Amino acid sequence: MTSRDVFAVLLIAVPTLTAAVVSLAPQRLVRRVALFGSVPTSAIATGLAILAFRDLAHPTVGTWLVVDPAGVLLVVVIGVVGLLSVLASPAYLDTSQSSLVRPERRERTYFAVLYGFWAILLAVPLAGNVGAAWLLIEATTAASALLVGFSGKARALEAAWKYLVLTSLGLGVALLGIVLLSAGVPGGGVGSLSWHALTTYSSGRGTALVAYLLLLVGLATKIGWAPVHNWLPDAHSEAPAPVSALLSSALLPAVLLVAWRSQQALAPVVGERTTRTVLVGFGIASLVVAVPFLWRPMAWKRLLAYSSLEHMGVIALGIGFATPLAIAGVVIHLSAHAVAKALGFYAATPLLAHEPRAAGHAVTGIGRTQPRLGAAMGLSLGTLAGLPPFPLFVSEVLVLAGGFQAGRPWTAAVAAVLLALGFLGLAHTLIETTVGKPRRSRVSEAVGLGGVTALTLVSAVALLALAAAGPWLSRTDLVDALVRGLP
Amino acid sequence: MSGAVAWLLVALGLLVVTVRRRSIAVGVVTVQALILVGVALNDAAGGADVVAAAALGARGVGLAALFLWLVARTRESRPVRAGAAPLVRAGLAVAFALLLTGLVPHIGLESRTDERAVLALVAFGMVAAATCRATLFQILGVVLVENGLALAALSLPRASSLAIELGVVFDLTLVVLVAAVFHERIFAEFGSGDSASLRSLRD
Repeated sequence: MTSRDVFAVLLIAVPTLTAAVVSLAPQRLVRRVALFGSVPTSAIATGLAILAFRDLAHPTVGTWLVVDPAGVLLVVVIGVVGLLSVLASPAYLDTSQSSLVRPERRERTYFAVLYGFWAILLAVPLAGNVGAAWLLIEATTAASALLVGFSGKARALEAAWKYLVLTSLGLGVALLGIVLLSAGVPGGGVGSLSWHALTTYSSGRGTALVAYLLLLVGLATKIGWAPVHNWLPDAHSEAPAPVSALLSSALLPAVLLVAWRSQQALAPVVGERTTRTVLVGFGIASLVVAVPFLWRPMAWKRLLAYSSLEHMGVIALGIGFATPLAIAGVVIHLSAHAVAKALGFYAATPLLAHEPRAAGHAVTGIGRTQPRLGAAMGLSLGTLAGLPPFPLFVSEVLVLAGGFQAGRPWTAAVAAVLLALGFLGLAHTLIETTVGKPRRSRVSEAVGLGGVTALTLVSAVALLALAAAGPWLSRTDLVDALVRGLP
Repeated sequence: MSGAVAWLLVALGLLVVTVRRRSIAVGVVTVQALILVGVALNDAAGGADVVAAAALGARGVGLAALFLWLVARTRESRPVRAGAAPLVRAGLAVAFALLLTGLVPHIGLESRTDERAVLALVAFGMVAAATCRATLFQILGVVLVENGLALAALSLPRASSLAIELGVVFDLTLVVLVAAVFHERIFAEFGSGDSASLRSLRD
């Protein structure tokens, strides 16, 4: 086994083991074990990324395991957001009392399922074949549905139910696509489902196209691409805030990576332009659906959910354009979206403690009543809106420039108009949320602001660094490797 | 696999879309699963195929027990009405199945009959989940889709991976178990397993 293989195995084993220990530990130690376990997991994720980035030209490509730049980029994102979500969980558990399970089992169940979800999520970008990737994605559905409905409240049950049924049906369609692919690749067995083997599909272009469409439509239900996104706003708004952060910042991009790998694998059979056009179509559809909602006054977490729809659309456009500029934009977009969206969701816990009405209504003037909370929400929303000099402005410009570079000027122009409209909607909300007229006359201290304030400062530095990296990223070996895809 | 078996599976699938009683629908999807086990054992070429068939059988029987237990625990005072009448549901299901079989070209399974049966079962599962308001029927819709996919796996001209097949059986069972937890909680919260109660989250 190479050192990469060892790190990859540890990456999945450590959180799985932590989930087991949390399940068996004495009650008084559950929280400590959970918090302690998050550090080695994220450290291993970082270690694997360092190993992979040191030798970008030689990714590990096996039947079951792939360690390549795209995969480890996602592993880092999932590792960091997972760590922060575990650390943010005590504030959620302390401020919310209801749950699906008996009170004495509440904390243990929450952390065990959260770790299970995290472990599976970390494995998704490293899956070496489309069958294993599907199995892992389906497993995230079971784990994350329990977390979405964890509060046990009526609205959470509704959100979890929709999520479970819609994504299960969607993934059923994706599995049908995989079965069709398996029928057309010579050899049979698990090897016929490896990313490389898919390029040898031999049952004809028409059948390959059908399989690709079934696979992508199925994955789209999980990514939250329009028009099969209906579960997304409900699940993200009703899940515990640390779970919403993981869903939005980690789960959606991880599944999106599987869609991207499928496109790269099937492009030689179906046609490069056709496979990319499908991605671009999902991207534009997602922007068209998301933008009107970004103009409406909406509960904070629900607004963030619709913003996820918009940003998954932007990433779809980037991988659909697939030029160095567009892929550089995707790298920046994926990382900055994770930071900003996670910060926004973590801010929801003190926000709801400060103003419970925020669970169902738009909030205004938080910067006036709770300046530190307002700063966190402002930084998150300003970044998500694409406000200069934040990195999502840079990444969106890169993706649009990539559209022109790819010879799709009309698509890029339509996307530019939609992004401008989305920006205006979110900019208005940004002003109202931070410096608008507060609806509350009585001001009470928000709970758990210390951690959110520290995270705001770290996020601001990280976001500015990402923005600074954007302009030269397209000429790096990393982007070159991402454009090439798996060997 | 003979064409008669494939069409029998399709007919049973259509029955799931149209029946009102949950226990009957549970019985029908279980019979479907057991027929698939029979086909798998009949076509088995080695130990791996027998293991996969055994896993499929265990899943079918296990889910039947789980569903019947759920039916007993969540007795409705009267059956939850579906969003459309049985004939309308059947018509929708058949129309969707015909649309799919018309749109999707040859997909590489052993025979065109198998391909049509697979697409019909997937279509029926989706229509059941979309038109039946009872939450248990929506889970059964997902199981119906899974049975269609199991039929597709059995009709592949080449051997598939045992690890992947077992993984699929495990994953889908896990999803159904989680769905069962939520079905019970929804019944406890709303006093009925009627998904029409789940309409508070709208924009």
